[in-house]
Amino acid sequence: MNKIIQIASSRRTWAWPYILFMGLFVVLPLILVGVYALTDIDGNFTLRNFAKFFTHSEAIQTFLYSVMIAVFNTVICLLIGYPAAYIMAQEDFKTPKVMAMLFILPMWINFLLRTVATVELFNMCGLPLGEGALLFGLCYDYLPFMIYPIYNTLQKMDNSLVEAAQDLGANRWQSFWKVIVPLSMPGVYSGIVMVFMPTVSTFAIAELLTHNNIKLFGSLIQDYITTTDLLNYGAVLSLVLLIIIALTSFFGDHDDTGGEKGGLV
Amino acid sequence: MREKANGYRLMAKGYRLKAKGYRLMVVMVLLLSPFALRLSPLFAQSNLNYTVRVGAQGEVQVLQDFPESYAAEKVNIKLGSLETLGTLGDLGNIDHLDFVFAKEELPLEDRFVSVYSYTDESETTWTVWRSTKEPKNTKLRVQTRNGRNAFEHYLHETLDEHRSHGWIWWVFAGVALALALVAVCMQIIQRRKEKSLSSVEQETLRRKRMGMRRHYISQAYLWVLLLVLYAPIALIAVFSFTNSKILGNWTGFSLDLYANLFTGKADAGLNSAIWYTVIIALVAAVCSTILGTLAAIGIYNMRARSRKMVSLLNSVPMINPDIITGISLFLLFVALGMSQGLVTVCIAHIVFCTPYVVLSVLPRLSRMNPNTYEAALDLGATPAQALRMVMLPELWPGMLSGFILALTLSVDDFGVTFFTKGSGGLETLSTFIYSDARKGGLTPELRPLFTIILLVMLTVLIYINFRNKKQEEE
Repeated sequence: MNKIIQIASSRRTWAWPYILFMGLFVVLPLILVGVYALTDIDGNFTLRNFAKFFTHSEAIQTFLYSVMIAVFNTVICLLIGYPAAYIMAQEDFKTPKVMAMLFILPMWINFLLRTVATVELFNMCGLPLGEGALLFGLCYDYLPFMIYPIYNTLQKMDNSLVEAAQDLGANRWQSFWKVIVPLSMPGVYSGIVMVFMPTVSTFAIAELLTHNNIKLFGSLIQDYITTTDLLNYGAVLSLVLLIIIALTSFFGDHDDTGGEKGGLV
Repeated sequence: MREKANGYRLMAKGYRLKAKGYRLMVVMVLLLSPFALRLSPLFAQSNLNYTVRVGAQGEVQVLQDFPESYAAEKVNIKLGSLETLGTLGDLGNIDHLDFVFAKEELPLEDRFVSVYSYTDESETTWTVWRSTKEPKNTKLRVQTRNGRNAFEHYLHETLDEHRSHGWIWWVFAGVALALALVAVCMQIIQRRKEKSLSSVEQETLRRKRMGMRRHYISQAYLWVLLLVLYAPIALIAVFSFTNSKILGNWTGFSLDLYANLFTGKADAGLNSAIWYTVIIALVAAVCSTILGTLAAIGIYNMRARSRKMVSLLNSVPMINPDIITGISLFLLFVALGMSQGLVTVCIAHIVFCTPYVVLSVLPRLSRMNPNTYEAALDLGATPAQALRMVMLPELWPGMLSGFILALTLSVDDFGVTFFTKGSGGLETLSTFIYSDARKGGLTPELRPLFTIILLVMLTVLIYINFRNKKQEEE
């Protein structure tokens, strides 16, 4: 009994249930993806699924197309989002604080509903659904995720550095490119990660925005994984996606990557 | 001296006038932006959608009504080979427009057919595509590459007549132009006043004006962006106040949809989806708050190395995209032979919610005095008592934020739920919307529901912001 109390009072042990839970439901499933990818339907070891991926032109094409769309989307979000974040963070523009909140609010509305609303908006304006609609919809869905981290870093930035640059003779343009942009790079990186990763793995959005005409990699995975016979092949595709994710998070490796919505409330 | 004072007063007045002028211009830009969008070539091309029905024999009938003068000359599109194209002719002879497609060649995807118009030597592109939902309905779209030809123009007008809300654009444009006029007048008055100022004063004014211009351009940028960002959401909110089945069709103000939603007259699937969403969100939020708070306390008291390890583990579900979390859990449940349903969805939601709770509790812990807990133990409290009476009062704001965050994340989730809900008919709001949208159209009661959710979210956000500000002030 005393021992139990002793264990309980050492607060270090309080994380054990969580670690156990995470081990079972986060680590083990991720390992399982690899296991399924390397086995056939009867559970025997095989590399055939991988071989299939490299000869499966539809999968590779869809994959490349999805990556391309994701890159496009990230670039567009960055081009639109950076100025917005910059303007909001700049003190001499006197942007109301509520403005920043308004930009982040759509993040809390169900993204499917937002997507459906976009589709309806396109229909109402008589715009065709297709690649343009897809890019618009994706950008619309993920823009807040780009604005927020950039805004955050810009706001935390030490303004005296900019003043110092100006005192030393830099004009507005120079101080922007030489001081503000480099200092905001962490925010830009996490913005890129937060936009690129969900876009490359997106499913459902593409189907709704293009009337099932364009299939992204996420939808392909979904198709295979939900078909019992092709589950193992679906696992291979997921593994490919996982590798991309791992590479991206490695690229944007610093501590506020995971902050996502964490810092907002 | 007096003259100088006068000059400054004039200047101050001028600023105010100027500011008003700029503000008006911002409003004008905002009002004009939808109009400009509509007039842009992007919109002009695509306004020309009309439906063509393909009959059993393959005959194509245009469903768009034409004015009476053209009623006798309906557009006939006969079947034949795609390559055999008719000519558009001039406006009076629409029946020259014989488009010929072979039945089997009628494309499933977008395909462009170019038509050369002799009236104004422009090239028109016809897009023929078949709706995948109803293969018998084919849409025909007319696009112009080089300017607009007469026929298309005529179609445009026809369509505008059918657009009941067409006039609203003109109201926008009218108001915007009036505002622009006022703004320009103000500028002229201001310029005149400035002429009497000294050159130094004019220089300061010029500087000030530059700053102001930058200010207003940037503000206009933000507002236009917000306008675009909120347009679809506003669309849903506005159309929640009419009882039409289809979004975009205003049939008069009505609160029927709200009434349906609250009296349970809405679609049965929607009702159960709402309940499941609420249950799952509450279970997930409560469990993850408890688990996450304990974990945060544990992590905080760990040695640096193991702390780093657990933090890494903690960030995995946050970095993983939905689809990966969903699929990996799906594979786990398949491997364990668990039947998927409410339990699996709840587990999955706890998995991706807990890390956020941990992250919102941790900063609270580092703010509190680490010795109070030990002091409580030394004074004879049991660990449970110490937790309840010493730690919880300090931690609860973080727990509350974590709880709210978990709630919103759970309600918002689609990807993970989709893969873990199994095939037992369990639907949450997200998956319900998805299957609904794929069937075509949205259950009308979703509109009021999301208007309410939006308002609740807005209130919560404003409240939290307000609270944070108050805390900062303290």
